Amino acid sequence: MDSRNSSRLSTSSLQRSTTAYLDLISTLVSPKSFLTNSQRPKSPSIQPQPSVAQGNLTTASPTMDKQQPSSFQQLEKLGEGTYATVFKGRNRQTGELVALKEIHLDSEEGTPSTAIREISLMKELKHESIVSLYDVIHTENKLMLVFEYMDKDLKKYMDTRGDRGQLDQATIKSFMHQLLKGIAFCHENRVLHRDLKPQNLLINKKGQLKLGDFGLARAFGIPVNTFSNEVVTLWYRAPDVLLGSRTYNTSIDIWSAGCIMAELYTGRPLFPGTTNEDQLQKIFRLMGTPSERSWPGISQLPEYKSNFHVYATQDLGLILPQIDPLGLDLLNRMLQLRPEMRISAHDALQHPWFHDLPQLQAQLQQQQQQQQQQMSGAYGGMVPPQQAY
Amino acid sequence: MAANYWASTQRRHWLFTREKLAEIRESFREKDKAAHSQFPLPDQRLLNIYFSQQLIKLGKRMSTRQQALATAQVYVKRFYTKNEIRHTNPYLVVTTAFYLACKMEECPQHIRFVVGEARGLWPEFIAPDVSKLGECEFSLISEMSSQLIVHHPYRTLSELQPELSLTSDEVALAWSVINDHYLTDLPLLYPPHVIAVMAIIVAVVFKPSQTSFHGSAAPLAGAMRDGGLNILAALSDKNGSGPPARIQRLVAWLAESEIDITAVIECTQELVSLYEIWEQYSEKHCKELLGRMVKTKNLDK
Repeated sequence: MDSRNSSRLSTSSLQRSTTAYLDLISTLVSPKSFLTNSQRPKSPSIQPQPSVAQGNLTTASPTMDKQQPSSFQQLEKLGEGTYATVFKGRNRQTGELVALKEIHLDSEEGTPSTAIREISLMKELKHESIVSLYDVIHTENKLMLVFEYMDKDLKKYMDTRGDRGQLDQATIKSFMHQLLKGIAFCHENRVLHRDLKPQNLLINKKGQLKLGDFGLARAFGIPVNTFSNEVVTLWYRAPDVLLGSRTYNTSIDIWSAGCIMAELYTGRPLFPGTTNEDQLQKIFRLMGTPSERSWPGISQLPEYKSNFHVYATQDLGLILPQIDPLGLDLLNRMLQLRPEMRISAHDALQHPWFHDLPQLQAQLQQQQQQQQQQMSGAYGGMVPPQQAY
Repeated sequence: MAANYWASTQRRHWLFTREKLAEIRESFREKDKAAHSQFPLPDQRLLNIYFSQQLIKLGKRMSTRQQALATAQVYVKRFYTKNEIRHTNPYLVVTTAFYLACKMEECPQHIRFVVGEARGLWPEFIAPDVSKLGECEFSLISEMSSQLIVHHPYRTLSELQPELSLTSDEVALAWSVINDHYLTDLPLLYPPHVIAVMAIIVAVVFKPSQTSFHGSAAPLAGAMRDGGLNILAALSDKNGSGPPARIQRLVAWLAESEIDITAVIECTQELVSLYEIWEQYSEKHCKELLGRMVKTKNLDK
């Protein structure tokens, strides 16, 4: 366990011998038995295969490149996803914190499609409002994604920071701006996120918000007639998707962003539906029931019912008393039932609501500095080294 | 597939010069001279044709979208810039590239189905154990550094169709030229829009009739060689009275666009050379040499 050479020999023995910690030595490579079966020496005196190791494991990140082999200390579990478990980790050499996403491999389906999609998209999308993928580590039977460390997801952040989940105006504006920047970047690059929700938005101590979890993201470069309509968590799902449209586009991410904006103000989800129908009803009750007149073509959508209960449009301002008129205007532009009417991420970023953002951000920065000073005071010298933050 | 080509990993990591590609292949030979003399393989261009043909066969059996097939073609090529063919079971690599590409292009196929179909085609080279495919997939992802998004020329073609008012025949022809370019090294050498423009020129200028397209390649190759010169001539003499109006319009568009004309002409030549070498291509010969290699070295185990 203590010798680096031994850990190179066999991943499985390494894993057996370590329970609390897991050494991820970046020279571990995926099984190549099918490639080199006949030549590979079976004895333990395997020399590392540098040509393979270099290409594989240290391509992505400027921070991870230099240290070879890079190794990570695995710390507490941060969460469990559909196809992965996420741990906090620390780079043994730099002390930098990272998030380690461990992908379970299924013998029946190889590497999960969601993981493949996420990894490959993250390799292309480098942006300050998108969580960085530093590295992909292949071990014998696992895939480990090394992401930049973020302290919390937006859901947890609201639970711990806000007043019953509600956030202050400056923070809301800053978060919405960063969210829309991330979305705009995805859309410019012809990528739909498709699963935006507070749990997938990550926050760090610097007050940065970044898009994470691209497991459901898809590229829409090539016109495809039908997309799977089984995406996006129900609460943030756009009405056109709920109505069974399979030709949705970038506007579905904008609807989600609108729902998130409202939630930042109230601390509660705007449309917490339980089923597809209930979700539609909750949306119509507030936004009004659409008709062929307000939304030409709606009656052609598969889930459209001519006997939808007819609700009148409510004023969003009534349920969001804290919101200012400009913010309400932007929100209304995002929460348009008809997808073509929804504002684009690019245009939303130009909205006058964001004009005073620079001043607000300066204030926010001051607040954060104060908070951090208090924090480090409280914890004394116990705070682990965090060069990156 | 996604994202911006100019910032893509395809452009940054998977675009080679001819010299670089030759150097890589030479370095494989240097590293394992014994294997190279013991297992001679056909010319790289013939091998390219063979692998592509095998992939197409597999794709046909499973009626796969062209897009996924094209991505699989590129994966095989990328993989063999990192690995010596003689250390691999090419049939497993081809099958895995197909399986992975189907996942990436969102038309996934079940692992058992893929293995079953591959066994139907190459029973002596594909083991029934599906975990082999999973392992190989893992290795493919790793060898490609998880850079799996591939930009193809098809999109440029459909974008340029209205702009150049291409007829549906011309589009179909350009489409099949793009299909053919996967039988060469071109996807590793040029950006997809250059390939697309090349395909459009071939379709508009040479108008090879679709029936003769694959039948006898030599006359086409000759026509294209002459045609390449015609384009060059037309470009250098825009006021010339030579080519018909339709072609003049295309030439004018080319001159205005910022497309690297030299690269387009080089692509055309590569395609010409594909059609020429196709004359020598023997599937049986490739299969025998590869089969002997895989069996002698137990690469299929």
